[in-house]
Amino acid sequence: MKKAVYSGVIREYDMHSASVRVGYAIIVLLCLLMTVVALFPLVWVILAGFKDLKEFMSSTSLLPASFSLNAYVLTWTQLDIARNYLNSSISVAGSVVCAIVFNGLLGYGLGILRPRGYSVVKKLVMLSLLLPTTISIVPLFMNIQKLNLGNSFLPLWLSFGANAMYVVLFVQFFESLPRSIIEAGHIDGASQLQTFFRIVLPLSKPICAVISIFAVNAAWSDFLLPYLVLRGASMQTVMVRLFVFSTEQTVNADAMMRSVVFSMIPPIILFFIFQKQLTENAVSVGIKG
Amino acid sequence: MSGARGLESAKAWLIMLPSLILMTFFVWEPLFESVRMSLYKTRNVELVRFIGLENYLSVMKKDDFLQALTNTFSYTFWSLLIGFLLPIVLAILIGETRRGKGFFRTVAYLPNMLPGLAVVILWSSFFSGGPTGVLNILLSTFGIPPQTYLTRADWVIPIIILIATWKGAGATALIYMASIAGISPELYEAATIDGANVGQRIFHILLPAIRKLTGTLLILQIISVFQIMYEPMVLTKGGPDNASLSLMQLMWQYAFGGSMNYGKASAVAVIVTIILLLMTAVYSYFNRRESDWE
Repeated sequence: MKKAVYSGVIREYDMHSASVRVGYAIIVLLCLLMTVVALFPLVWVILAGFKDLKEFMSSTSLLPASFSLNAYVLTWTQLDIARNYLNSSISVAGSVVCAIVFNGLLGYGLGILRPRGYSVVKKLVMLSLLLPTTISIVPLFMNIQKLNLGNSFLPLWLSFGANAMYVVLFVQFFESLPRSIIEAGHIDGASQLQTFFRIVLPLSKPICAVISIFAVNAAWSDFLLPYLVLRGASMQTVMVRLFVFSTEQTVNADAMMRSVVFSMIPPIILFFIFQKQLTENAVSVGIKG
Repeated sequence: MSGARGLESAKAWLIMLPSLILMTFFVWEPLFESVRMSLYKTRNVELVRFIGLENYLSVMKKDDFLQALTNTFSYTFWSLLIGFLLPIVLAILIGETRRGKGFFRTVAYLPNMLPGLAVVILWSSFFSGGPTGVLNILLSTFGIPPQTYLTRADWVIPIIILIATWKGAGATALIYMASIAGISPELYEAATIDGANVGQRIFHILLPAIRKLTGTLLILQIISVFQIMYEPMVLTKGGPDNASLSLMQLMWQYAFGGSMNYGKASAVAVIVTIILLLMTAVYSYFNRRESDWE
């Protein structure tokens, strides 16, 4: 990484003043405090997962009595979490594909092709950004039932193909692409669809990466629509299972905490692999989110 | 317009067609359907008969509606009080660090990646009332006896907002940081020559530079507060005594809480939609005077 120009308000020459140096020390301390506040709950829940029920309900110590993984293994097998992991993976995989293909194609139409009347659709998409999707979950669920799409991953996958935010991100990115490259494809006789898959998408790896990460995380974390759609226990995703646990209180508190840990592991892994993309690229595009 | 252009246009619409069908099915039609359904008496997924505004009247007549409406504004108030300035402060603090900036940025963003439901369940252990609740364990080291939290009507909303802020503030801070990093350091240095100290530079250069972004994030924050639903559902079931019941939760209860009253649920959804559209309209009216807002 190239060395960035230091851009803070406190300039090098300010550091000669004692009061600014004290102020700077306080800033660092506050950042360390933020670190503790952000990480402590995570560390705690992982530690709590080592406790068995008796210890969880009675111990007033934050540290577990032992660090044996038995409790985790037992919960994983007894509750058959592997099954939920598999279901979540199926849900996530299809959702990401739909998120890229359908939002990408709409973004291509609105950002590059711009056929007559496209601006009406663009305005509709912008307007949809302002209303949370949960607001119309009732009629959406009824529509899914009417089409007999209950107990299937299909509506969950397709719902990721209709995301106003992803469309806007695609449009913004496509508008920044050099027109000449796209027009060159036209001259070579490529159809509009070929141009999209052969020229536009390969040029759009950064935005595809960001949207994929967003979509993986959103699909993994989503549980309201999945809860309504996936009624059969065999199809439940990790988050749906956790939601059922929390509303029906069918598991003990200690197993619940371990389930929470299980539900957090994939997002945390994803985060550490892609933290650079997330904290640098995602920031600049995340504004509209 | 030549025939060839017309053909290209038609092909372009054809390419967008599948996506448009999905947008219609998942976003636009349900919004429209909410309005229609709210005007009908419903039985299961069927519309039985047109009853005008009866769903609205019967929803609004019940005590829980007024409670949920007040609560939702109370959520908004606390969210602005706790969650609005914090990301700006965090952004300035992290932006000033000379070492470890990347680390602090990563740490700040991490909670935002965690599934919202898992976060809520995790925090419920922190605020559980017995001596084994994490907060009570921490307090006991200072000799403070165990307290109750989520069962107190006047604490429950601020606590839910605290949890949401823990999850989201860092990610919002990074958005501010990106904007702050765009300010040319030469501005600060020129201000120094004019005799401005660090505080004056923050107030006269940094804060004005992020003002427009602040407005946009404010409206997005309000929209997200109106979505609060599963947090009280999981933490308190809307209690104690409906003290944390939100409008969206009321909608969920009408639809999926056993009574399957989709008409009344839609009426609540439409009311929330109208409030959100009104607030956005007011915001863009004031904002338009200054700049073009997309």
